[in-house]
Amino acid sequence: MAKIIGFCCNYTAQVPVDVLEKEGVIGGGVELRRLPCTGRLEVPMLLDAFGEGADAVFVAGCKIDTCHNKTGSLRASKRVRYAKGLIEELGIDPELLEMFFADRGSTGDVVEAIKEMEKRTEKGA
Amino acid sequence: MDLKGEAGNFTATVLKRPRYIDEDKCTACGTCTMYCPKPVVDWYNERLEVTRAPHIDYAQAIPSSYYIDARECLRINHETCNLCAQTCTAGAIDFSQQPKTLELSVGGVVLTPGFGRVDDEVLERFGYGRFPDVVTSLEFERLTCAAGPTEGHIVRPSDETTPKKIAFLQCVGSRDETCGNGFCSSVCCMYAIKEASVAKEHEPDLDISLFFMDIRTMGKGFDAFRQEATKKYGLNIIRARVPKVEEVDGKLALTYVEEDGTSKSDLFDMVVLSVGLTAPEDAQVISERTGIELNKYAFCKTTPGAPLATSVPGIYVAGAFQGPKDIPESVTQASGVAAHISELLKEVRGERAVTVTYPDEDRALCEEEPRIGVFVCHCGVNIAGVVDVKAVRDYAGNLPGVVLYEDTLYSCSQDALKHIAERIKENRLNRVVIAACSPRTHEPLFQETLRSIGLNPALIEMANIRDQCAWVHAQEPEAATEKAKDLVRMAVAKARLLEPLEQPTVDVTPSALVLGGGAAGMAAALSIAEQGYKAVLVEKTKELGGNLRRVTWTVDGEDAKKVLDDLIDRVKKHPDIEIMLGTEVKNVSGYIGNFTTTVERGGNTELINHGIIVVATGGREHRPKGFLYGESDRVLTQLELEERLKRGTSFLRNATRVSMIQCVGSRGNDLNHCSRICCTQAVKNALKLKEKRPELDIYILFRDMRTYGLYEDLYREARTKGIKFIRFDKDSYPQVVKKGRGIAVKVFDKIIGSEIEIPSSYVILSTGIAPGDNEALSQILKAPLTKDGFFLEAHAKLRPVEVAVDGVYLCGLAHGPKGLEDSIAQAQAAAAKACIPLSKGKVAVAPIVSHVDQKKCIGCGICASLCPFNAIEIVKVDKKRKAQTITASCKGCGICASHCPTLAISMGGFTDDAIFAQIHAFGEGIEKEA
Repeated sequence: MAKIIGFCCNYTAQVPVDVLEKEGVIGGGVELRRLPCTGRLEVPMLLDAFGEGADAVFVAGCKIDTCHNKTGSLRASKRVRYAKGLIEELGIDPELLEMFFADRGSTGDVVEAIKEMEKRTEKGA
Repeated sequence: MDLKGEAGNFTATVLKRPRYIDEDKCTACGTCTMYCPKPVVDWYNERLEVTRAPHIDYAQAIPSSYYIDARECLRINHETCNLCAQTCTAGAIDFSQQPKTLELSVGGVVLTPGFGRVDDEVLERFGYGRFPDVVTSLEFERLTCAAGPTEGHIVRPSDETTPKKIAFLQCVGSRDETCGNGFCSSVCCMYAIKEASVAKEHEPDLDISLFFMDIRTMGKGFDAFRQEATKKYGLNIIRARVPKVEEVDGKLALTYVEEDGTSKSDLFDMVVLSVGLTAPEDAQVISERTGIELNKYAFCKTTPGAPLATSVPGIYVAGAFQGPKDIPESVTQASGVAAHISELLKEVRGERAVTVTYPDEDRALCEEEPRIGVFVCHCGVNIAGVVDVKAVRDYAGNLPGVVLYEDTLYSCSQDALKHIAERIKENRLNRVVIAACSPRTHEPLFQETLRSIGLNPALIEMANIRDQCAWVHAQEPEAATEKAKDLVRMAVAKARLLEPLEQPTVDVTPSALVLGGGAAGMAAALSIAEQGYKAVLVEKTKELGGNLRRVTWTVDGEDAKKVLDDLIDRVKKHPDIEIMLGTEVKNVSGYIGNFTTTVERGGNTELINHGIIVVATGGREHRPKGFLYGESDRVLTQLELEERLKRGTSFLRNATRVSMIQCVGSRGNDLNHCSRICCTQAVKNALKLKEKRPELDIYILFRDMRTYGLYEDLYREARTKGIKFIRFDKDSYPQVVKKGRGIAVKVFDKIIGSEIEIPSSYVILSTGIAPGDNEALSQILKAPLTKDGFFLEAHAKLRPVEVAVDGVYLCGLAHGPKGLEDSIAQAQAAAAKACIPLSKGKVAVAPIVSHVDQKKCIGCGICASLCPFNAIEIVKVDKKRKAQTITASCKGCGICASHCPTLAISMGGFTDDAIFAQIHAFGEGIEKEA
């Protein structure tokens, strides 16, 4: 089973992963790490996630104009773009790292992101 | 449109919109809907279905006639189409109808506009409109209805699959100041549990969760229903207010915080929003045109002492416009309003009455050999579309005794009735069989026709070939026709044995006996007297006033004594009310219209003759055990607190903290029922304490705060004024303990997760309402009691102030726990119902009554003991015990006849012989087939 690690801000996903898993909305192996804001995200955190054995990593931040801290999710997306280049050098498909923008308070959008990453890991395997 | 004048003499201007279908001609066959090309949103089915421009909202609508939606009709808006008018065989469609302005001269006005909808904007906060599987409770109600858009199958609007998990969100648009609705809608808790139960009946595997703040099932018998439903259907009761609904992968996610502070999430297939009741949309318009005042939520403004009177004399209000309420209360208020109007118009009562006279019955004709006429109805295509009506008609012609057989297009239409009457006369028929629809709806119409030509109305028999053949066997026309023949053969067999029945009437003694001199009893006596009849008010104690005497303030802060003194004053001054204090009822005999009651006053027995009885014997404050009640002078009941406060606040001199404990006695302790008023009473008294001594620290420990309706405002006020509320569960009741020289309350606080101790200067117990000594009276009246010991009404919703025994009416605490406002409305309702037989002067006895053949009767008395209406008495005939029917009380249920061991009892219209003949007739057909 693919291991997926997601970083999301406090304002996106509300429903915990175990509930989603229990209801069969997503497969197992998903871990969500909550940050106060995705602006807090640092590049090593993304690389560490791969280091921990994640098959795919994603970040779900607020839509650009709605970030609580104005530019938090914008910063996160820049870091994701930069990290994509790094993992490519390491021989990991950059498609396995992605930035998503979710509506504030919408677990649905985060679930869409998880599903997308599940699809990408399957393709890679 | 407009209202001018004053009480007793109003002129109302009314706009009558055209229906475009003549309701006298329309037979409700449905052809117009079938042919109309214009699809229209079906508002009755909550927009879940489409109908056509001409339609009827639902099958039971009154008048049972279709109408054309003028906004949608192609003919009305574009002068085209006209299809419906061409297809209507009854010629009922009339596009020449115009709006009419009517001027009505009336004495009184009743406002019953009902309630309004919660704004869609409020519902949108919960995803309504965005997520298709978020539905309102009204939509869910239609989905669970067998006659609804899905025929009772519960499906998700998004993909029409059956949901597995459903959540009900309570208090949507209620108890929510952010949308302007600070009040509690009173009915949603109960209807959500009902809808959940109905859903589980349909789909036993459903997983249903209900999210409550407080569970407010405070109506009579409601708590028992809730317990039963929760257990039987395994409903998940969650105490949380869900802030919003999210959509996750086609499911609906709810995130909520539980009582202990933990955050939880769950996914559901469908979310039902339990929407509240708001004031009607046009409340302001009504207020402007009639001059009545509204309260801050735009409901009609009333007072607890006069709950049905608006601020304008002669204009009354009933139902949800007076405040959110359920069906029994609305029906009760409606009757109460009728009493007000009857008081207002007593001078002119009966002036516009129309008396119908019938020719004398032709006895000789009945005695002759049966000459039966059979009329088979096409009902347009309703019957003829499936059943071969002409074949059924010809078949009837071969049956023994049948001298006339015809088919009619619509036998219930005016010209057809005239034709039937003529044919009966021409052919000297003395028995009539109508093969058409249901006798429940149409038999009275045909009986009327018989009476109009001098035939006894009992000489008709109906065969329901519409419902039982054409409708249920629509796919098998041949079998339906055969079954129609069977039914007609059976009806003819029974008709041969029909006998004319007497339609006796008994005179009514025009006076009332009101038992109980509390608020309810006095209000009832006053209303009866104001309507022009004598009332005898019997009170057991030495003074009038009952429980109201101990109440200090009404809920709106008025002096309760003023309400009480006003009532007593009016009762004492009224020339038509006789007050008997210190008097007890010993025995009641007789029946509706002619009761004789034995009472005892000061050791002397007296007899009172009266036409009806109003039971207003009240209830009493429950006396609890434990909680140090009676042991410490610091533990009081709510009423004791009020009595102390009435005398002054000196007892609070050194007090620092007061704790109140709710549901002491009520809800599953000594008493099983919810006492309904204690939550509001506690909040009212707490606010009063705060007003007198602002520095007092006040705690209210509760299970569910049931400050229903507009009382929610008091609850919110209490919270804003710093009164603390702690919730406890049934299995962890607070304890009152001695603490040094004082007392303290120990309770488990769920929020902090530990037991806390509240040292209190006083502990006030909300002890609830126990039934009075109803047992003895119940036996005297043969009026049944509920499990909780209150009197049982004849029907909770349809006859809320009547008892199963005719001529006995019910109000106040004798019926169940309730506040002053509800008691007064109910007393007025009982007075209205009581004055129906009094004003008629005669009680018509239903012709279908039991008859005892005293030759066969062995006097065993089984019938008398089983009769639910006290309508059979055992008398001595030549020193032998014999049963005898009191025809005025008999309802014709047939229980006596079915139990009589010697078959001595027969029912008018349903004699054993006639029923056997019917069964044999059925057998003949079966034998032939075999």
